[in-house]
Amino acid sequence: MSGGRLLRRCGALLLTVLVVHALAFLLVRGTRGGPFDEERELAPEVRAALEERFGLRRPLHEQYFTALAGLARCDFGPSLRYRDTSVRAILADSLPISLAVGAGALTIALLLGVAAGLGAAQRGGFAEALVLGGSTLLLALPGFVLAGAAVLFFSFRLGWLPPAGFGGVRHLLLPWLCLGLPLAAQIARLAHGGAREVLASAAVRAARARGLSRRAVLRHHVLRPALVPVAAFFGPAAAAALTGSLVIEQVFALPGLGTHFVQAALNRDFTLALGATVVFTALLGLCTLLSDLMLARLDPRAEALT
Amino acid sequence: MSSAQHPRRWPQRLALGWLIALAALALAAPWLPLPDVELMDAQARLKAPAWNAAPVLGTDPLGRDLAARVLAGARVSLLVGVLGALVALLVGVPYGATAGLLGGRADRSMMRAADALESVPMVVIVLFLLALLQEYRAELAALGIGRMHVFLAAVGLLFWLPAARVARAETLRLRGQAFVLAAQAGGAPRRRVLARHVLPNLAPSIGTLLMLTLPRVVLMEAFLSFLGLGVEPPAVSWGILAADGMAALNPLVDCWWLIAVPSFFLVASLWALDVLARAVAARER
Repeated sequence: MSGGRLLRRCGALLLTVLVVHALAFLLVRGTRGGPFDEERELAPEVRAALEERFGLRRPLHEQYFTALAGLARCDFGPSLRYRDTSVRAILADSLPISLAVGAGALTIALLLGVAAGLGAAQRGGFAEALVLGGSTLLLALPGFVLAGAAVLFFSFRLGWLPPAGFGGVRHLLLPWLCLGLPLAAQIARLAHGGAREVLASAAVRAARARGLSRRAVLRHHVLRPALVPVAAFFGPAAAAALTGSLVIEQVFALPGLGTHFVQAALNRDFTLALGATVVFTALLGLCTLLSDLMLARLDPRAEALT
Repeated sequence: MSSAQHPRRWPQRLALGWLIALAALALAAPWLPLPDVELMDAQARLKAPAWNAAPVLGTDPLGRDLAARVLAGARVSLLVGVLGALVALLVGVPYGATAGLLGGRADRSMMRAADALESVPMVVIVLFLLALLQEYRAELAALGIGRMHVFLAAVGLLFWLPAARVARAETLRLRGQAFVLAAQAGGAPRRRVLARHVLPNLAPSIGTLLMLTLPRVVLMEAFLSFLGLGVEPPAVSWGILAADGMAALNPLVDCWWLIAVPSFFLVASLWALDVLARAVAARER
């Protein structure tokens, strides 16, 4: 990808984040029921002082520019639920956990999926049927079903791994697997399809005819083109991992971004929900960009076409 | 190679059989000899499945019969699946068909907008909107709009993009065909070409799209209900049952059936829908 193109993509990413932030900001401000509406009616002076303190009395555009300046510093104001904590502090605490969960799951999905897909295409026969059948089954398994079964079996029956909480790699193994396996199934299907197509091509036959070993053919002629559909899928896979993490973090009681977001949505903690939404948007945008970079690297034609 | 040319038939038959049996059972649930869905029985809490005796699939911590609940959940989950998929198509197909028919700059900007939405975490944004809409539930209820309607609209928002893409591609293909050109040459206005010549011919691919969207919507319903942001109790769906099962899970009391039963129904149905969708898509090609 050329420099100018990369710059343009980064600009588009920034624009997306800004638009999502602006819309979310307007919706939150426009929603009736301000942050200080509670069961107990506040004294008018207290309410006025609070609204003054958080700048809710100023005109909307001024409030927006304040919020925009805050966005540049990743400052989304105080959480409405946890009154003494800023959204920024909550995000800073939870983001590393979510990143660890997501990165681990995507790594497992990529390694396992590519290996299974290529192996199935190369071997054929029983291995192929096993990978394809297994991936069909895994694709029908929602994350929380997998998580429930895993907790029931590995944590309660066998007692090998902790069922919930956060405190190191042992706590992350089950979330990684529950989040990564369905993605691995999808990636295996893509890699298998890609490899089958390449293996049937004249280029591979010619390489074999020149006397190259199976391994050399696989490494030099099959791997790269077979990975093109996988690279194209990396963006959607990141989106799926992000969506799945909402449930998986909840099930395993990991204090990550997903848990906080869902709790914020349930608790009407709109500033926290807004901050999390913006962070999620930026993360997914980065992953999509990464996916396109990988795609351009693997298959320069893809870039020329778009 | 052989498996691609001669697709095995038994998975499709099994899938169809499962879905028909499930739909029949769900529809007949009120007349089946099962306890009421809401009926709590303090004497029969957390009974394990007896398989061929009274609590066939066991009971939950409140003594409610799981078989009755899982069938009631089937009604909700499948209904939401069908309606949600229809909403997705209702939004996506006209959008894609319009883009394909207009062509040129309008098409490019419409598809550019769709591309931009692709790189936004839609589920997160829809959850955000659902949370904000909670504030207006009284007004919405006064307008006759319940939680279920909002939820169906939300699901449609999540899945209209693929529908729009397929509809656009099909429209582009149809647009070059002689009968569409003839209608245009005859002076038919765009709207008429769209309604009379393009949309009816999209029917086969819309059928396939519906089949492909169904399992995703069923899964999304379960996902959102599991998080507590979808169908609301006292209504039951498989997602709610699975969430109840997870909540009841603890190392002291073994109640695996509370998770296993709704999970089995959900997974078997998703698998069946997926197999059938693949079969339909393969036939069309």
